[in-house]
Amino acid sequence: MQLVDLPSRRSEAWKWSDLRAAMAGQEGVLTGTPPIDAEGPIAALAQAMGDAYGPSALDIAAPGETFETRITEGDAGQYGSVIVRAGATATLIERPHVSGSRLRPFLPSFSRIEVEHGATLHRVVLQSNDVTAGEADSAIVLNEASVKLGKGATFRQFVLGEGAKLARIEVSVEAGEGAVVEMNGVYLASGRRHIDLTSRVVHGAAGVHTRQLVRGVARRGGRGVFQGKFLVARAGQKTDAEMAHNALLLEEGAEVLAKPELEIYADDVACAHGNTAGQLDEDSVFYLRQRGIPDVEARALITRAFLLEAMHDWMGAQLQAEIEARIDAWLGTRS
Amino acid sequence: MLELNNLHARVVPEDGPAREILKGLLLAVPAGEVHAIMGPNGSGKSTLSYVLTGKHGYEVTSGSATFEGLDLLALEPEARAALGLFLSFQYPIEIAGVPVMTFVRAAMNAQRKTRGEPEVSAPDFLRLSKIAAAKLRIDPEMLKRPLNVGFSGGEKKRLEIYQMLMIEPRFMILDETDSGLDIDALKVVAEGVNHLRGPKRGMLVITHYQRLLDYIKPDRVHVLSAGRIVKSGGPELALELEKSGYDQFLKAG
Repeated sequence: MQLVDLPSRRSEAWKWSDLRAAMAGQEGVLTGTPPIDAEGPIAALAQAMGDAYGPSALDIAAPGETFETRITEGDAGQYGSVIVRAGATATLIERPHVSGSRLRPFLPSFSRIEVEHGATLHRVVLQSNDVTAGEADSAIVLNEASVKLGKGATFRQFVLGEGAKLARIEVSVEAGEGAVVEMNGVYLASGRRHIDLTSRVVHGAAGVHTRQLVRGVARRGGRGVFQGKFLVARAGQKTDAEMAHNALLLEEGAEVLAKPELEIYADDVACAHGNTAGQLDEDSVFYLRQRGIPDVEARALITRAFLLEAMHDWMGAQLQAEIEARIDAWLGTRS
Repeated sequence: MLELNNLHARVVPEDGPAREILKGLLLAVPAGEVHAIMGPNGSGKSTLSYVLTGKHGYEVTSGSATFEGLDLLALEPEARAALGLFLSFQYPIEIAGVPVMTFVRAAMNAQRKTRGEPEVSAPDFLRLSKIAAAKLRIDPEMLKRPLNVGFSGGEKKRLEIYQMLMIEPRFMILDETDSGLDIDALKVVAEGVNHLRGPKRGMLVITHYQRLLDYIKPDRVHVLSAGRIVKSGGPELALELEKSGYDQFLKAG
């Protein structure tokens, strides 16, 4: 079978996530034929998996609706489109989840999203694993969204990534005039897992307000990848954009690779980015221990607080509690 | 209560050679007493507080430190805390994302757990917190904010004493608690500290200046110089130091 032309490390966008190597020998997992002119490798693979079922489409016009998709091994690849009509508000929750029910799980999904003028979309992607080793370490999880924002539209996104043999959660946003973009995320890399959060925001019209905060932690053997790009086109005057990625390397042998990028062609903009990767502050740990909090708990407490700063209230108490529980579970189990 | 015998300690920086700071310290603080340690910069005052509480990067090379007969130096920092040792930090640490009250309650319960005691109940905790905050004239809203983040130097010191009142330690080390405090704040903080004085508690007050000792009256005053105690006396020694400086003792040391 002719497999999609998968990117290798030689492709700049995939240099830290070698999809071709990860997929080698896995051609058998595809159930359909990849299209020739797909939007990219993730779209092609999602279509190749979802072919038999046809694309799914959501057309949201009513306010305040919540749609949830759970994607697990054995499901068809998700390939679909979402449109949020002018003035409507919606919440989209995607859960690519490795439960350990199948060998070599493969979970590709791709969504083309349009948020019309004045509409609001909240999107939450929770990439999680039931299993602490084994299946999750052989799983390939790919999730991509291509988002188009109309005038004055709002797009808020939160991603939780627990990693897999290769997990990549990617989003590209094309923002219309006066649009508001908020994209936060948390990743937890341990075991032999790889988690890649890649994003790109194109500010092609005036007055776009963008905030991005990604916090990640990695333990021995885990690898976190952050690639974030803000492109401000000549027409993107009065863009106000801030990007931050901060990672903690909790153990020797943990790895974090980051590439924050600003590419600016307009002259009247406020753009900033910050990127840090370091270890837990031992003076902070000592302070907590001096107050009687045991070493392991002190580290967990500081790490947890560090990660939770990337969570925002718009997600609502229930989702926040769920994400906190996943973070706590991760912090409670050493690799 | 606290006994240091011929204590030698060095600081081991991550990026540099070890330096010996404490060079044979001899000190005994009986229960019920407040001792002041005074000395010029670099005499080893802060090193002493860190060695006693078990901070990383400090190494005891010889001598002993016991707390009620227990070898303090063999214990992890959290175990020393559970025994009742409390350090009011010279530079309190900022912990983003952890509200003051959440932190203090976690600390109280961790200590209680180590000692095999039941956790403090939510109503009891709130009641105690209200009393402690009122005593130190701390705005209760401040206790909901992340620990020390964006607090002024004086607020941080006040918060150290708030934690002390909540935790009710048996032995307190105050490391330059007066720095960063104006005279009114100093009085409030001293009142809080004095509240914890009692026959079963001991205290070590480390300070550069005599000022704090006007409000926290010590039973004994020791002059630390180049890692050793070169002179000990009653409260009058602090006044003498304030008048004539450290030089007279440094030569003797």
